[in-house]
Amino acid sequence: MDLIEPSSQALQLLFTGDPDLWRIIFLSFWISFVALVLAAPFAIAFGFILATKKFRGRRALVIFSQAMMSFPTVVIGLILYVLLSRHGPLGYFGLLFTPTAMVIGQSIICFPVLVAYTLSAVQGADPRAWETAIALGASPFSASIRTLLEVRFAVMAGIFTGFGRVISEVGCSLMVGGNVQGMTRNIPTAIALQTSMGAFAQGIALGLVLVTLALVVNFSLAILQGKGGLREA
Amino acid sequence: MKRDWEAMPHDLIRIEGLRKSFGDRSVLNIESFGISTGKCYALTGDNGAGKSTLMRVLAGLEPATVKKFSFDGAELEFAQYPIWLRRRIMYIHQHPYLFDSTVAKNIAYGLKQSGVARSEQKRLVNEAIEWAGMAHLADARAQKLSGGEKQKIALVRAMVLKPKLFLMDEPLANLDTQARQQTIALIERLCSTEHTVLIACHDGEISKLPGVIRLNLVDGEVKFPETSLRTA
Repeated sequence: MDLIEPSSQALQLLFTGDPDLWRIIFLSFWISFVALVLAAPFAIAFGFILATKKFRGRRALVIFSQAMMSFPTVVIGLILYVLLSRHGPLGYFGLLFTPTAMVIGQSIICFPVLVAYTLSAVQGADPRAWETAIALGASPFSASIRTLLEVRFAVMAGIFTGFGRVISEVGCSLMVGGNVQGMTRNIPTAIALQTSMGAFAQGIALGLVLVTLALVVNFSLAILQGKGGLREA
Repeated sequence: MKRDWEAMPHDLIRIEGLRKSFGDRSVLNIESFGISTGKCYALTGDNGAGKSTLMRVLAGLEPATVKKFSFDGAELEFAQYPIWLRRRIMYIHQHPYLFDSTVAKNIAYGLKQSGVARSEQKRLVNEAIEWAGMAHLADARAQKLSGGEKQKIALVRAMVLKPKLFLMDEPLANLDTQARQQTIALIERLCSTEHTVLIACHDGEISKLPGVIRLNLVDGEVKFPETSLRTA
């Protein structure tokens, strides 16, 4: 198969501002961004509680959260599909094949990633950070925020990794989004569809965006972690 | 001896029936203990005597069984240890932790938690940092400072909040000679300005400072040596 011709067409589509292509890119970013923003506060708080509080069932929750990180996204999509379908328990809301359903799915997917990174970061934090904040008159909530700020590089690594996972996942988005043009078609589902239809140029263009994004995320993470490593020097 | 102890002027803190154990091991078993306003105390004792535990209990960082507790004349429920009390009793850790930000922001942290206005925070931070002769470090990253500098900044960070009681846990631990001298000079200044200070320490450097009352922690009880009674 000739790759040069579709690749040059792909670049042309990207740089000429093809509206269909850029709508897909914008929708992908928007859905993943909203999913992350919705999941992050709860996941970070949950990770913090798991790391700092002793309670019955804590160990089981830690194991479950870590296992969920590698849970197949298509299965999450399948469960959500059953719940949101017209005859499902949440069918009344009519969310299936909407961007909202995709946001819910992606929030569920990135939640355990954020929990695991926060848990690990807070467990590795210096216990004096929380104690010092308390001793200086902070409320338990303010002291917790301070502790999270002390491990912000590790927590941000979780946010970047979570974003990387949801922006590139195809299974759940396809199941609950339905790949509806102009509404729920994001980069991964569009690549799958265009390629199956033989429209390689658009598939390659979207693939290029995804690869560029993955590189940007990874470089940002490396820079952040490098900076975080240097702070104690 | 107990009679003399009780005869001290106005008690800032008075505790009765303080018990603290770690598992089966009883660490503190204090019948009655008080700290008088405006006095400086050096709490000495062997390793593992419970000096740090007593400091942490007084700071509300370690739970303990307490029959009666009063602060500044008001009787309080020790188990509840309110936030306002934390802001009046400042505990300075043996190895102080400075937050991952600038020195100035570290000093301002407690003020911010107390709801002090930003402009006032800035003024108080500048004033305190100049008092300690460390104005040149205001914008430095706190975690890059030396051990001695960290100890001094931790003291300034507590001082800026104008607490009624300073609890300093082994402030000279792991400091080199120069840093020790600088920290001792700061403690001396603190004690000479009628602050109430309780310092847990091993060596005689602090307990021999003028005006410092020596307390001894033996078998979980605070003793008040004869020599200190004479100097107090």
